[in-house]
Amino acid sequence: MSHEKRTFEFYVLAAFFTLFVLFLYGPLSAVFILSFQGPDGGLTFPLNGVSVHWFFNLFEQQAVGDFGASFKRSFTLGLMVMIVNVVVSLLAGLAFRRNFRGSAVLFYLTVASLVVPSIIISLGIGVVFQQFGIKPAWYSSAFGAHLTWTLPFGVLIMFAVFNRFSPAYEEAARDLGASSWQAFAHVVLPMIAPSLIGVGLFGFTLSYDEFARTLMTSGTYNTLPLEIYGMTTNVTTPVLYALGTVTTLFSFSIILLALAIILGLRRRQAKVV
Amino acid sequence: MTAAITEDDTQIDAAGKPGFVANIGKMSSHVASYLQAVPLAMILGFFFLLPILMIAVVSFWDYDFASLYPDFLTTNYTDTLGSWVTWKTYLNTLKYTALVWGLTLLIGFWVAYFLAFHIRTTTMQMVLFLVCTVPFLTSNIIRMISWIPVLGRNGLVNTTLIEMGVIPRPIEWLLYSDFAVVLAMVHLNTLFMVTPIFNTLMRIDRSLIEAARDAGANGWQILWNVIIPLAKPGIAIGSIFVVTLVMADFSTVQVMSGGQSASVALMMKNQMSLLQYPAAAANAVVLLMVVLLMVAAILRVVDIRKEL
Amino acid sequence: MTNDTKTPKGISRRGLLKSGAAATGAIVGSGLITGFPTIWAQNPITLRQFGTGVSNINAIAEKCKADLGITLEMTATDSDAAAQRAVTQPDSYDIADIEYWILKKVFPAGVIQPMDIKKLKYYDKIVPLFKTGKLKPDSIIAQGTAPHTVGYVEAIGDKTFAKGETQFFTMVPTIYNADTLGIRPDLVGRDITSWADIMDPAFKGKTSILNIPSIGIMDAAMIMESMGNIKYADKGNMTKEEIDATIDFLIKAKQDGQFRAFWKSFDESVNLMASGEVVIQSMWSPAVAAVRSKGIACKYQPLKEGYRSWGGGLGLAAHLEGAQLDAAYEYINWYTSGWVGGYLNRQGYYSAAMDTAKEFMTADEWGYWIEGKAASGDIMSPEGKIMEKAGAVRDGGSFEERMGKVACWNSVMDEDRYMVKRWNEFIAA
Repeated sequence: MSHEKRTFEFYVLAAFFTLFVLFLYGPLSAVFILSFQGPDGGLTFPLNGVSVHWFFNLFEQQAVGDFGASFKRSFTLGLMVMIVNVVVSLLAGLAFRRNFRGSAVLFYLTVASLVVPSIIISLGIGVVFQQFGIKPAWYSSAFGAHLTWTLPFGVLIMFAVFNRFSPAYEEAARDLGASSWQAFAHVVLPMIAPSLIGVGLFGFTLSYDEFARTLMTSGTYNTLPLEIYGMTTNVTTPVLYALGTVTTLFSFSIILLALAIILGLRRRQAKVV
Repeated sequence: MTAAITEDDTQIDAAGKPGFVANIGKMSSHVASYLQAVPLAMILGFFFLLPILMIAVVSFWDYDFASLYPDFLTTNYTDTLGSWVTWKTYLNTLKYTALVWGLTLLIGFWVAYFLAFHIRTTTMQMVLFLVCTVPFLTSNIIRMISWIPVLGRNGLVNTTLIEMGVIPRPIEWLLYSDFAVVLAMVHLNTLFMVTPIFNTLMRIDRSLIEAARDAGANGWQILWNVIIPLAKPGIAIGSIFVVTLVMADFSTVQVMSGGQSASVALMMKNQMSLLQYPAAAANAVVLLMVVLLMVAAILRVVDIRKEL
Repeated sequence: MTNDTKTPKGISRRGLLKSGAAATGAIVGSGLITGFPTIWAQNPITLRQFGTGVSNINAIAEKCKADLGITLEMTATDSDAAAQRAVTQPDSYDIADIEYWILKKVFPAGVIQPMDIKKLKYYDKIVPLFKTGKLKPDSIIAQGTAPHTVGYVEAIGDKTFAKGETQFFTMVPTIYNADTLGIRPDLVGRDITSWADIMDPAFKGKTSILNIPSIGIMDAAMIMESMGNIKYADKGNMTKEEIDATIDFLIKAKQDGQFRAFWKSFDESVNLMASGEVVIQSMWSPAVAAVRSKGIACKYQPLKEGYRSWGGGLGLAAHLEGAQLDAAYEYINWYTSGWVGGYLNRQGYYSAAMDTAKEFMTADEWGYWIEGKAASGDIMSPEGKIMEKAGAVRDGGSFEERMGKVACWNSVMDEDRYMVKRWNEFIAA
């Protein structure tokens, strides 16, 4: 009986989930459709002809702004944030496995860093760099600003991972004669690898998208979100939508790649175990 | 990485030799903890603590038309707190926060629940989860402005409804209204709720649910007495994310309300646009306090440090 | 002195510079301009410029590279961020492209160094509007932060502006225009003649004004005055009572649902109009052109009370010195020498040195854009698209008709603290 009930629940929830996905993709579909506007098209309906003009235009020089250079900056910054995020979160996660003096302070500092409104951090870092006479730049001040946002995510995830992580695995490995480095590299690391990939992906995404924290910290050159925002002061063509479509497709491929890696890891793990 | 090696080596040494050496081992494992925590502490110290202190200092400064003067004045605070605009704006921001929090929690929980309990293979779970993630990888700005052609007077929704004969003329409140603001915020932030809840739900031991069912609990009782209490840490973290993001939002409110609604951060931005930094800083400190209090309240209900 | 610098098009800029330098050598004296090209060849110079997307156009950087060998790195921001960056990150740029009204606040922060007009080759060509506030000797000076009021300082290092023309120029004006109401002639269904028409109940829920506090309140002031509600002493520098009256009026209009939305950036104003959300709103001339280029009827409507005007310019960062400073002067001299002016004029903005810009425009373009004559051929955009068909006449007429009827300039008020406070109230209402 309970089985029947579950299937009914399943259908209701499946419908709900489908609606949610439609809701997520609905406005993106508008972007998608509008990015195929004709050469005279604007940013709103009705459609003004159909063409792939704006996709080619995306790779040409714009009247204002530079997608290529700002994309490169955002991408590099995203990678930097991703790497630092993974390493620092992992270390912090390991540190928090033991209760050390000041761990509570550090923990709440981390949560606070997550909580402080972006625009405040942005203003503050900008002012600090100015006061210290350090030149703000996307790879220094904006990099730091992004980390104050991505690190709490990373640390919280690692925290959750290690809280549930039984030391028994490591002990077993050591009992079998593994050195502690071996225990870490061959037992702990593979088990938390999917979470680490998650931390990295999250870090990259949050950084790649970050706007408010970059606003006052980017220095001379714009990151992609700032560039898009700056461009809206002059550009009114669907090229912005073409960018949206391309980014979404790009994200799809990155995600597929990550999925493949995770599945691959799991398969390897399954073989090992 | 190196820190991890030294730490574990010392532990093995300590395990091998009793007494006095073990104490040293214990001490050095503390050292290892500190070494491992240093990068995080340093980054947060320089890029978070210092800037916030700076803001706090500036909030006491004096300013006039042209420049700022280091001083210790409380007028920036009395100006901010003494005006009904501030209170009204906070109220409005809290209204958005409450609505968005409620909606994202409702949607986020059921989506996570569906993924965690009704999808049987982990591969499928992951695929569906990532399907939810993709839209979040598109630029926030583009995602936000993409609502405008959908909700506008001549947008997708209105034209479709008119063509279907459901409504005689366009619905005006779809765009440039509170409705639009909340809708866009839910759209932007639901993932932050889904992810942590999904995480905690995945970790619930399935035998607990079986046990409850065997003990005669019905579906709702299981949900209410078993699943939700165990999902609390995830709900708490998701709530922290959403509350923080909505409280600090300015661009969504600005764009989706067509500039007709206020939010605290928007008020700050207006001050900053005329370079009135001390006033903006005072506002920032107040906002920070409010948000921290809200988070403290959440943490009081759920100690995420213990339960995570 | 600059009369002999008139050069036919087609001669390379470097050649022009040399002949220009020869002609003005006596005044330049120091050899500031002569010998430059060789320096750039050995020692490539990069100038970093930021500003709104309005004038941070890539084509200008390309042309600058080709003509001068100077690499110009342009960063486009929105107007808020531009002001923030100017003040809080003075090391992050060499050239600031900002508007005059915010210069009133940015300059006293000490981040911009004044220019010596003796080093500005085309100073004489700059329209008098930026020197005396008068387009023609008998014009009336408009209200608000007129560019000439923040255009000069007495000496280098001064933080307060000079009353009249001096040797030290705070910014070289580059781009400016007059804003008015834009309308959808197909949807308004009546003649629009006054700023007050935006408050017509017939347009309820279909109007918009600017959402930048210091500019939005000017729109409101134009409306208030034209409705006969109030007579401002100076719309650009209101008293507290005047601010109160204006904001109260706005709040009432907002609560009555007169406005559909408020726009903040160029694209928003274009979208509002193009999508039919709004049929009448405060608007820029190029935004009207952008709507029209999508095949939608839109008109830049001259009004009897006159225009609300704005202007931007290039300022030198305080940290510039030596070769970089010299390069910055050379860049600014190049900027005012005509090619850029022609480019900006063709976008529907106005160049500050009209005489030099004329050399770089065809007679038909000059006639259409500046003299208000009917176009004899198709008018093309700088990107090579047809903007207007032959026979078209520009809304608002000639340069003199437009800029001669400026009622007020975008402003920062002395009471800006109070104004922002009340503006936030308006948004919250």
